[in-house]
Amino acid sequence: MNTGIENLLNEGAGRLLARAADNRSLSRDVLLPRITAAVEKYLLKDNANTPHAEISKFIDEMQADDLCLIIACERGDENAWSDLVERFTATVRSAARSASSNEDAAEDLAQSIWAELYGLRARKDGMPASKLAYYSGRGSLAGWLRAVVAQLAVDVFRKQSRLVQTEEDSDLERLARVVEGQPLVAGIPTPEESMSNRFAQAGVQQALHQAVQELPAEDRLLVKLYYFDNLRLREAGVVLGVHEATASRRLTRIQTDLRKRVTKILVDERGWTPAETERSFVEVAQHLDTDLESLLSKEAADLRG
Amino acid sequence: MKEETKNEMDLLLRRLGRRKETPVSNVAADHLDADELSTFAENALPAGARARYTAHLAECSRCRELVVQLSSAVGVVAATDTANVSKPSAWRMLLASLFTPMVLRYAVPALGLIVVAAIGVVVLRRNQPAQMITRVTNNEQHTPVPAAEPRASAGDVSPEAMRSPDGLADRQAKNQPVKAAPPPNAAPVVKSEETEVSKDAAAAQPKPDQQTASANEPRPAKAAPSATPEESQKPADTEVSKKEIRTLAATAPRSDRAFRDEAQREDKGNFARARKNKAESSEATGAPDTASVGSLHSDAVSANTRSVAGRRFQKKGGVWIDTAYDSSKDSVTLTRGSEQYRALVADEPAIKTIADELDGEIIVVWKGRTYRIR
Repeated sequence: MNTGIENLLNEGAGRLLARAADNRSLSRDVLLPRITAAVEKYLLKDNANTPHAEISKFIDEMQADDLCLIIACERGDENAWSDLVERFTATVRSAARSASSNEDAAEDLAQSIWAELYGLRARKDGMPASKLAYYSGRGSLAGWLRAVVAQLAVDVFRKQSRLVQTEEDSDLERLARVVEGQPLVAGIPTPEESMSNRFAQAGVQQALHQAVQELPAEDRLLVKLYYFDNLRLREAGVVLGVHEATASRRLTRIQTDLRKRVTKILVDERGWTPAETERSFVEVAQHLDTDLESLLSKEAADLRG
Repeated sequence: MKEETKNEMDLLLRRLGRRKETPVSNVAADHLDADELSTFAENALPAGARARYTAHLAECSRCRELVVQLSSAVGVVAATDTANVSKPSAWRMLLASLFTPMVLRYAVPALGLIVVAAIGVVVLRRNQPAQMITRVTNNEQHTPVPAAEPRASAGDVSPEAMRSPDGLADRQAKNQPVKAAPPPNAAPVVKSEETEVSKDAAAAQPKPDQQTASANEPRPAKAAPSATPEESQKPADTEVSKKEIRTLAATAPRSDRAFRDEAQREDKGNFARARKNKAESSEATGAPDTASVGSLHSDAVSANTRSVAGRRFQKKGGVWIDTAYDSSKDSVTLTRGSEQYRALVADEPAIKTIADELDGEIIVVWKGRTYRIR
């Protein structure tokens, strides 16, 4: 790191301490490594020549009070610990409750988090191995604590939830076996339609999968959130930091883009004619509609029976 | 055709979405850490880092699940998106707000009524007949003030009236109608010398004109509105003696006439009696006192305005609205007891205080964000 950036970071640390309502009597030297790590992680890693103004702006947008509180906790400041526990117990409990199936599990999870934060294990240098060292100060401390809770909850409960999902997934798997050449669902297809449809479906689905993979990351994320995770547009918009209407417009554009990409793949790489491609889109879509209707009617009949 | 295209792709993508994603990695180090997840969810990352993490999230269902969970807790509203939308200029917004259907719905009929009323007033004022001014005197209860110097103008005030607040009230009671009197077209003047006017009522309803017929009877403090315009202008709480009524016809314009000073001002005893009579008649008729009406009004105002946790709220349409609320800004809607609500109040306990204090729907502006709590 060159001297110019070091000076910049040093000055930034000074400004951060000055604007903190309670800087916990920390010095620049204590703060500097943390700020440096955050700048490297979020700015210099992507662009080593990040303009100085951008670095200064980044530091000035950091959460001064939250960062000072966490560093003071790491350094064993009892008052800081009291403040941390007092201010964020409700946050941790709320996050644990939303990640747990019952109150007892939530309480256990919350306790585990405090233990992780306090650092019951010791590092090589004898200091407690606390998770606090990973808080950069870029986002809010409450948000970071929620993320810590959510991560721990996912790690603990993921296996369990997988077991629960397996049965549900098996139904969806039946719908998704088209690419592998399996009949779709319910009604038995006639020989003619099964041959042509399967061929068309397999081709279109494979090309679509490839086209989705080629989308820009932001568009791909929206497709995953909306079609794979079944989020509503408003929820997907919140994740992407855009309004619901923007997400909707973007999704419409993506659908048009994907159609063009799929057509191109089928024509250029698979040797289909444009007419065949168009016909396949219509047939596959119609067939999917029929499949869904027959699936639903069959399930309704099963329930009645 | 375009719609069909969209539907086809929509169906195909839904089919694709049912396929189970292969996890990117089972190694924890390959996933986003808590700091990266939370800063992404809070939209607090620089563009470069955000793009890097977006690419990961597009492939990693585990991290995506966490970010979705955190985003919903944070309730981040599209700050960047809002910033990118160019806002119309202030005057355009003002014009737009003036011509919204909601405003026009009430404004157009109201404007029509105002125009009709204005035309009516102009026409009536032109054709108004001679104004009758009644003056009622009561010699028994009052010592008549020597009718000495003529009143040069309606603004003249006797020194006695200037000294005494009661006198001033009396003067106001007698002067105001003069100011408000229609053009002086030879209206007979009937002025009560025994007019017992309470200060409050005189200020509130300062028309001392009396009709002779009705002046013969003592009336309750709050007289019921009469059918004729003249009667409707009677002071509500004027007590008129039966003893003597003198009617003077004013045949010349008032500004040209030198009024004789027959006005009688109540002495302290008369004023006390007037208050007593007024109180009794108020009690008898059940009509509320002016002061009590004011108190009721202020109660109603305070019932619709509350201050909780340093924020001021007004109740409009059953919703408690923060006075700092700006309707042009996006709001986050929360339901009491929901996960998102619990997450919010865990971070901001003051919002819980507000939500507990105020029933029903609340719109609160907190740290620059607007929350609609149901």
